[in-house]
Amino acid sequence: MRLPSIFRTTPFRLTLLFLALFAGAASAFLAYIYGVTALEVTRIADASITREVQSLEGAYGIGGREGLKRAMVERTQGDRPFLYLLQDPSGHRLWGTLPHGSIARFDDRNTDMVRFSVTRPGLNGGVNRELARGMRQKLTGGETLFVGQDVTEAEAYVFRIDRALGMAGALVVVLGLVGGIIVSRNVNRSVAGLNAVVAAVQGGDLRARVQLRGARDEFEELAVGLNDMLDRLEHSIGGLRHAGDAIAHDLRSPLTRLRTRLEMAILDVEAGKGDPKAALAQALEDADGVLRTFVAVLAIARLQAAGSAPDQAAFDTGQLAADIAELYEPLCEERDLDFKAELSPALQARGNREFIAQALANILDNAVKYTPAGGAVMLRTRRRSSGEVEFSVTDTGPGVPDGQRERVVQRFVRLENSRNQPGAGLGLSLVAAVAEAHGGRLELDEGPGKIGEMGPGLRVALVLPRAA
Amino acid sequence: MRILIVEDDAEAGAAMVRGLSDAGHAVTHAADGKLGLTAASEGPFDVLVVDRMTPNMDGLTMVETLRRQGDQTPVLFLSALGEIEDRVTGLKAGGDDYLVKPYAFAELIARVEALARRRETGSVQTLLRVGDLEMDLIGRMVRREGKEIDLQPREFQLLEYLMRNAGQSVTRTMLLEKVWEYHFDPQTNVIDVHVSRLRSKIDKGFEKAMLQTVRGAGYRLDA
Repeated sequence: MRLPSIFRTTPFRLTLLFLALFAGAASAFLAYIYGVTALEVTRIADASITREVQSLEGAYGIGGREGLKRAMVERTQGDRPFLYLLQDPSGHRLWGTLPHGSIARFDDRNTDMVRFSVTRPGLNGGVNRELARGMRQKLTGGETLFVGQDVTEAEAYVFRIDRALGMAGALVVVLGLVGGIIVSRNVNRSVAGLNAVVAAVQGGDLRARVQLRGARDEFEELAVGLNDMLDRLEHSIGGLRHAGDAIAHDLRSPLTRLRTRLEMAILDVEAGKGDPKAALAQALEDADGVLRTFVAVLAIARLQAAGSAPDQAAFDTGQLAADIAELYEPLCEERDLDFKAELSPALQARGNREFIAQALANILDNAVKYTPAGGAVMLRTRRRSSGEVEFSVTDTGPGVPDGQRERVVQRFVRLENSRNQPGAGLGLSLVAAVAEAHGGRLELDEGPGKIGEMGPGLRVALVLPRAA
Repeated sequence: MRILIVEDDAEAGAAMVRGLSDAGHAVTHAADGKLGLTAASEGPFDVLVVDRMTPNMDGLTMVETLRRQGDQTPVLFLSALGEIEDRVTGLKAGGDDYLVKPYAFAELIARVEALARRRETGSVQTLLRVGDLEMDLIGRMVRREGKEIDLQPREFQLLEYLMRNAGQSVTRTMLLEKVWEYHFDPQTNVIDVHVSRLRSKIDKGFEKAMLQTVRGAGYRLDA
C-alpha cells in the first residue's frame, strides 16, 4: 500500500520514532504508578483486615463464642463496618453481616486474602454488587471466622487512576501524531519550495528563485543561500555568454579587414601592380593585430566573467609602481616627455600584481602615445581620505572631452584624434575590467588644464578598495 | 642541436620541424605524449618542445614523468592556455619556459636556442665574457676593453641576459619576461628604448657595435 506522501516525509518518520520512544517511556512510568497505587490500596485493606481478625481472636480467647459475637455486634456500629461471618465447625452460619454462601469459594486450604463480591438488595429494589476482600481464620474451638471489608471505593479509585492513565496514553499518541503531521506539513512546505526551484534550475531555468517567507529559520537561510548561489551562477553564466558574443563580434571586423587585404593583394599581384612580399608582410602584421586583440578581449572577458581577479595578495603599491615607472621612464625621455613618479611609501593594497601592473602599463602606454613632445607624464600612488588606494597617471596631452570619458572606456572606442596611433582601443577597457575585478573602479578626469598649446590633459585613476 | 617536438597538430608540427631544421637543428617529431616519452627516453636531446595538451598522454604528465626519471633536458611548453595560472602549472610540472600559441616563429627559435644555451653554460658562473665585454657578477662590474662601464641595476640585468645568450636572438617578449618578469605585451616600444640606452653605454665610443637589432625577431649580442 502506498502511504500518503506526508507519512513518507523524514520529519513524520522522526516524529513517529520519537513518539514510540516517548510512549514506551510513558507506559513504563504509568505502569509503575499504577502498580504502586493499586498495591498500596490492597495492602492497606489487608492490614486492617488482619488487625481486625487478630482483635476478634482476642475477644474469642476471653469470652468464647459468645464473647466473639458480642464483639462483632459492637463493631458493626462503626462508620465503615467490616463484614463478618462466623460458622460452626460443620460450616453452619452462626452469625454475621454477610449472607451465607457469598464466600462459598473458600475451602480449607485457603486461608489467605480473597476477593469476592457481596450482593445486597438496593434502594429501588435493584441489586447492589459490592466488591470486598476478606480473610478466613479457623478458631481454636473449630469455628470459622470470616472478616471482610468493602473495597468498592478503593477499587473504584484504582480504576479511575487506571482509566486516567489510559486516557493520558491515548492523548499522548494522538497529540504526537497530530504534532508530527503539522511539523511534517510545515517542513514539507518549506522543502517543497526549495525542491521546486532545484527542479526548475535542473530543467534549465536559471532565473527560478525560492520565495522567501520572512521566517528567520534555517530553511529561510538555506533559501537565501540557494538564491544567492543562483544569482552568482546566473551572473557568471551571463558573463560567459556575453563574453562569447563579444569575442565573436570583436574579432569579426579585424578578421574581415585581414581577409579583404589579402584579397586585394591577390588582385594587385595578378594585375602585376603589387609586391607579393610586401602584401604578405602586411597580412602578417594584420594577423598579429588580430591576435593581440584576441588576447586583450579574452583577458577582459575572463576578468568580467570571473567577477574577481585570481591570486590576489597583499603587495606594496610603491614597489609595483616604481617597477613600472622604471620600465616607462626611458620611453618618456626618448619622446621628450618629463616623467615623474610620486609614490606614497609603505602603502599596501590587495590584488593580482600582474593584472595591476598591466593596467598601469596600459594607462602609461596611452599617456605616452597621446602626449606631445615637451609635455609631462606623472605617475602617482596615494591613499585617499576614504582609505581607498589610488594609482593615477596625469598627462598634459589633449585629454578626453567630458562627454566622451564614459565612452573611451568601452571596448574598441577610439576618439577621432587617436586614429593615427597604433592600438585596438582595448587598453582602458582592460584597465576598467582589472579595476572591477578588484572591487575598484577606473576614473577619468581633466588633467592640469591648458598650458599654452598643451592640455587640458587627462588624469586616469585606478582606484582599489581600502585593504581589509 | 637535437630537438624533440611533441605536437599532435600535424601541420603545426611540420611547420616547426621545417623552421627548426632550417635554423640548423636536428629535429624529431612525436605526435603524442606517449610517443614523445619513448622518444625522449631514447634521446639524448638538447631541448624538448612539448605541447601542453596532447592525446594519449598530455604534455604535463609526460614532462612530470621525465623529471621523475631524472631527465633534466630543458623543456619549452607550448600552450593555447595563456593565463598566469596555466603558466605556473606548466613551470611547476618541470617546464623551463612557456610559450603561448600562436607565436611568431622567431620567438620559438629564440626561446629554444636560449634553453639549449643555458644548459651548455650551466648556471654557476661568476664571470661572463663576450668578446672584449666582461661582466663580473659578484663585483657587479662591467668592463669593455678594460674600461669600466657604469650601468643602472636594470641595465645590468638586461646585459647579463644578453651575454648569457650571446650570439643568439632574443625577442622583446623574452626580455620583458626574463628581465622585468612581466607577461603582458606593451603597446609601446618600452623595451627598445631600454635596449638603445644600454647600447649607447656599451657600444658608444667603441669600434664594433656588439648589440645588434635582428629584424623581425629582436636583439642579439655578438662577440
